[in-house]
Amino acid sequence: MVTSTSARKSLQTTLEVPALRRSYYAQTQEDSKKGKKVAWCSNNIPSEILDAMDVTAVFLENYATVIASKRLASGFCAAGEKVGFSQDVCGYARMLMGYILARDEAPEAPYGGLAEPDFLLVNSYSCDSRMGWFSAMSRVLNLPLHVHDAPHQPDGASDSAANAEYTERELRSLVTFLEEQTGTKFEPDKLRKRLALSHQTSDIMFEVNELRKAVPCPMGSADMFTAVWPAMYLAGTKECEDFYNKLLAEIKERIAKGIGVVPEEKFRLMWSGIPFWYDMRLINYVEDFGGVVAIEGFYRSRERRPPVQDEDPIKDMALRSTRYRTFPSSIIASIDDVLDAVKEYKIDGVVLSFNPSCRLAYVSQTELQKSLEDRGIPTLGLECDMADERTYSEAQVKTRLDAFIERLLART
Amino acid sequence: MIVAGIDVGSSTSKAVILEDQKIISYSIVPTGAESAGSAQKAMNETLQKTARLSLADIRWIVATGYGRVIVDFANETVTELSCHARGAHWLLPSIRTVLDMGGQDCKAIRCDNKGKLLNFVMNDKCAAGTGRFLEVMARVMELPLEDIGELSLQAKEEIRINSTCAVFGKSEVASLIRLGREKQDILSGLHTAISNRVFTLLRKVGVEPDFTITGGIAKNIGVVRRLEEKLGLKAILTVEPQIVGALGAALFARDRVSNQ
Repeated sequence: MVTSTSARKSLQTTLEVPALRRSYYAQTQEDSKKGKKVAWCSNNIPSEILDAMDVTAVFLENYATVIASKRLASGFCAAGEKVGFSQDVCGYARMLMGYILARDEAPEAPYGGLAEPDFLLVNSYSCDSRMGWFSAMSRVLNLPLHVHDAPHQPDGASDSAANAEYTERELRSLVTFLEEQTGTKFEPDKLRKRLALSHQTSDIMFEVNELRKAVPCPMGSADMFTAVWPAMYLAGTKECEDFYNKLLAEIKERIAKGIGVVPEEKFRLMWSGIPFWYDMRLINYVEDFGGVVAIEGFYRSRERRPPVQDEDPIKDMALRSTRYRTFPSSIIASIDDVLDAVKEYKIDGVVLSFNPSCRLAYVSQTELQKSLEDRGIPTLGLECDMADERTYSEAQVKTRLDAFIERLLART
Repeated sequence: MIVAGIDVGSSTSKAVILEDQKIISYSIVPTGAESAGSAQKAMNETLQKTARLSLADIRWIVATGYGRVIVDFANETVTELSCHARGAHWLLPSIRTVLDMGGQDCKAIRCDNKGKLLNFVMNDKCAAGTGRFLEVMARVMELPLEDIGELSLQAKEEIRINSTCAVFGKSEVASLIRLGREKQDILSGLHTAISNRVFTLLRKVGVEPDFTITGGIAKNIGVVRRLEEKLGLKAILTVEPQIVGALGAALFARDRVSNQ
């Protein structure tokens, strides 16, 4: 039986996301029936290009979080393990391999399952497990896989010409791959329009996060972990832009009226890491004690996008990508970023999720926690997988959280 | 003023009744499968020991421990982290670091000069290297749990035990018994393994003297000695380390009444 574990929301606009998500998945099924090409994608594949080329993008990591939030992950993970994937493998990958190879043994798939893919696209950026996961899918599904390689951006060299050139080549190679798969010619104008919309959205998102510095905090993570969805998966569409305009207006109104997530803030937290999608109510839990999770370490625009760099949209994307990062370039950079946010958002303590099956997030969290404690910023580490709820013990997590809250309240 | 604290742990439930500045009664009962019943039992026993009090005489009750939320006669809950810091500090005011080694968890706790919780680190989710682990090992070796501490001090040879996982540890110990190794040597190895594990928690939280150990394992002299050696620091122990959490809860109850 599916039990809803979604977080209690403070904003009206956020309540629209589930319907947007449902209709997005329904649309992908429709597209597939109409013969549109469907690409199964990893996160960070530029959906604007796919959209401009009339390819339907289905993002598997997002679908994994849908499964997890409906508390179906254990069934899908077990199915993935049954076909040979170790418990140490990324929970998202394990679930999807279970979905592909042992669907009969897995629970009923949300939204009636995924649109059947014609090819696969993976971005090498930020996560290494994806590469293995997507190549495994390519093998078992016997489908073409295109790897979009994103160069690492070392600190202090973020706008290097070499990086921009390399990124441009990679983007052009993605376009060529899509032209081959679809038999359609790429039209720069279409892409330019999508990019304009997507950059507007990104600017609004940035502004929304800036406004969350207000006391009382008008929008907490319980809303934001849901509200990032359109930006991640509907970027470059009108409905996405409309959503964020509405969100921004609602937040401005709340600030003007002095409405916060909790009426009287006693402490403000940051959530660093991937949340536990199967128990998002945990974020609301602190609200009962007068706390608010005011900002996230992940899924956050850290800077404004730079203005248009070039008339050629592909070149423009490449140039901008080297001047704008969604992930910090290194652990050091991510620590600096969190320390800045702690100050700017007046954070009293940081909750760090340690997701054992996400190597990338786990390693940096360890160093981040140490750096915060060294500076006297209280932290709480919670080790539970982002998707596989078999690693979660509610009583143990709550004891740690309760004690952390007691620690924060004892300081005042 | 009469108040009480109750600590429902995974292995035992403890209750303490405070009258003004004095512990007038306490008891420790096994938690078993029914935590709510064991909490009631611990409270009843503690009341009976006073030979004059009933539940109605208690002004305020604070529950702590994993079962804190199921104690229906408690007025409020506080976590065992804060309670151990508070209780240990009340008994031994110089204490700044508490290691609580219970049935299911180990917690390294730092407190300030008022007994307030400053920081804590807990073991991860499984019961590896906790009281439950030692219970299982004592059973495998057919020894009473209360004897294994002393016995381990007679070890002549150090045996390295690789796993503090109760499942793997059990088979490791069973095979050492089959190889004819001495029980005291095996025990010593087990205590070293546990100490190594909790030492990392202590290092994470940072040990500041004075230092005490609370919880059931504090009664195991073998583990206490090993930890003292590793830390290069003597542990100052309380007379009854198992009730420190319940005592802390009772102190929070007293605060509450005083502030009313």
